[in-house]
This record gives sequence, C-alpha cells and structure tokens, in this order.
Amino acid sequence: MSAASVRAEAKRLLAMSLEGGVVSADLVGAVLAALTKSRASHQLRPLLRAYLANIRRELARGEARIEHAGPLATAEADAIAAHFSKLLGRTVRPVARRNDALLAGFRVRVGDDVTDLTASLRLANLAKSLS
Amino acid sequence: MTFLSALLAAEPAHEAVKAAAHGAAPAESHGPLGDIIKLFGSFGVDGPHLLVQVINFALLAFVLYKFAIKPALGQLEERIRQAEQLQKDRSAAEAQLASAQKTAEAKLVAASEEATKILVEARNSAKATIEASRAEAQAAQTEVIAKATAAIEADRVKMMNEVRGEVSRLVVETAAKVLEQNLDDSMRGRLNEAAVKQLAR
Repeated sequence: MSAASVRAEAKRLLAMSLEGGVVSADLVGAVLAALTKSRASHQLRPLLRAYLANIRRELARGEARIEHAGPLATAEADAIAAHFSKLLGRTVRPVARRNDALLAGFRVRVGDDVTDLTASLRLANLAKSLS
Repeated sequence: MTFLSALLAAEPAHEAVKAAAHGAAPAESHGPLGDIIKLFGSFGVDGPHLLVQVINFALLAFVLYKFAIKPALGQLEERIRQAEQLQKDRSAAEAQLASAQKTAEAKLVAASEEATKILVEARNSAKATIEASRAEAQAAQTEVIAKATAAIEADRVKMMNEVRGEVSRLVVETAAKVLEQNLDDSMRGRLNEAAVKQLAR
C-alpha cells in the first residue's frame, strides 16, 4: 500500500470510529478486531500507525488541554471548555494540568490551536521587544 | 741648317744690295726712305746684319717659346688649373662642411627638441602615474577606512544588541523570579479568574 492509500484508509477507519462526532471506545475496538482479521501483518503495521495518529488527533480536537499556574477552579475550566466548544462548534471537554513555571494565567491547546494567556508568555514577548 | 745656308747664299745678294744701296744712295737720297737708310748707315746699322739678327732673334724667340715658354706656360696653366681646382674643391669642401655643420646643428637641435619632448612626456607620464597611484592609494585608503568604519559600526551594533538582549534576558529572568517568589496561590487564582474573563470577552 502506498502512503496516500494508507492515509485514506486510516481516515476512513477514523470515520467509522466516531459516534456522534466523538471517538467511541467500542467502535475503535470493533475496528481493530476487524483489521486484525482482514489484513496481513505487513499491511497492518503502517495502517495501525496512521489510525492511531488520527485517533490521537481526534481526541485532542475534543479536549481543551489547560496548563495553568496556581489553582484553577473547575468552574473556570468548564468556562474555558465552553468557550472553545462555542468557538469551534463541537463539544470540547477540559483537561487541566498545573504548571507553576507559567507564573500566572493559563495556556489552552485544542487540537493544533494554542491560546496562551500566561505571564511567562508576556515576559517572553517583553524580552523579544527589548532585544 | 737650311735657313743658315739660305742666309749664306743670300750673302752676295746682300753685298749686291749693299753696293746698290751705296750706289743708289745719291740717287735715292732725296726720298724719306733713303734718308732713313742713310741715317741708319751713319749710325753703323747694317741692314743685312740687322735682318739676320732679327731672324736669329725670331728663331730664338720661337725656340724659346716652343720649348721653354710654352711648357712653362702649360705648367703654369696646369698649376693655375690645379690651384683653381683646389680652390673649387676647397670651396666645395667648405660648403660641404658648412652643410654638414648645418645638418649636424639641425640634427642637434632636432635631437635636443626630441630630448626635451621626451623629457616632458616622461615628466608628464611620471606625474600622471604618480597622480594615478595617489588616487588609487587614496581610493584604497578610503575603502579601507569605510570598511573599517562599517566593521566597527557592525561590531558596535552587534555588541549593543548582545548587551540589550543580555540585559533584557536578565530583566525578564529577574522579573520571572520576583513574580515566582511573590505570587502566591490566591493571587494566581485571581489572575486565572481574570484571564478566564478576558478569554470570554
């Protein structure tokens, strides 16, 4: 299989794994079971690798990974996720992780998009503007 | 010899003429010629002898002219001709010498002018070369100065940027450390809350 056909097949498998626009663990298990039966092992490895990347990307699209300095209330995390759900037009759930190296504020990553409202970024921008 | 024998043969005729002269003298003494002869006779001039002497003198003169004077005149003319030739040659040589001197002087003047011209050209060429070298050196000096100035300016700008970057980094690091030390959880919480509000706007 060529790389293009592998990507197309992985994309098709990802579509089969979604339930209501969200990755379903049951569907993913069914897809994997079907793949192991129908494909030879030398064809299965690149396809599984592409499928995994697609699943990860899709999961990241449905998560708002929030890095924050200091305490962040659950209501605030939910407010952030609601903001991005509204902005992107799909359900996004918050996944918070404390990182005091950011000094203050938070950084949100949804899929490939990053929104940074941290004091460390402000200081880095200040350093760039001074140098 | 012929002339002398003729002269001796004429001697009787001479005597006859003499006798006739003596005899006829009274008859012709009345004419002017007779008077002249008589006058010569009274002086002791003998006509035949005179004639012989005249002839001898003419012979002598002829011989002298033929064998002495004429060769001498020829030699004299040859000498004169040689002298004239010499004079002519001398004049020609002098003219040639004058011409040669004139030519030499002209060549000397021309050579002097040529030398002066070459000297002037050499001076001008040297002057131009010196000026070109000076201009080239000036240009090279200007270029070196400009390059050095540009390099110094670039180094200065680079150093200033490095210093500025270092100062900025130190300032930011210091500010980060100060913030890290002074921010407590309550303040960070308030800041997070403000950031959420900012995000919602």
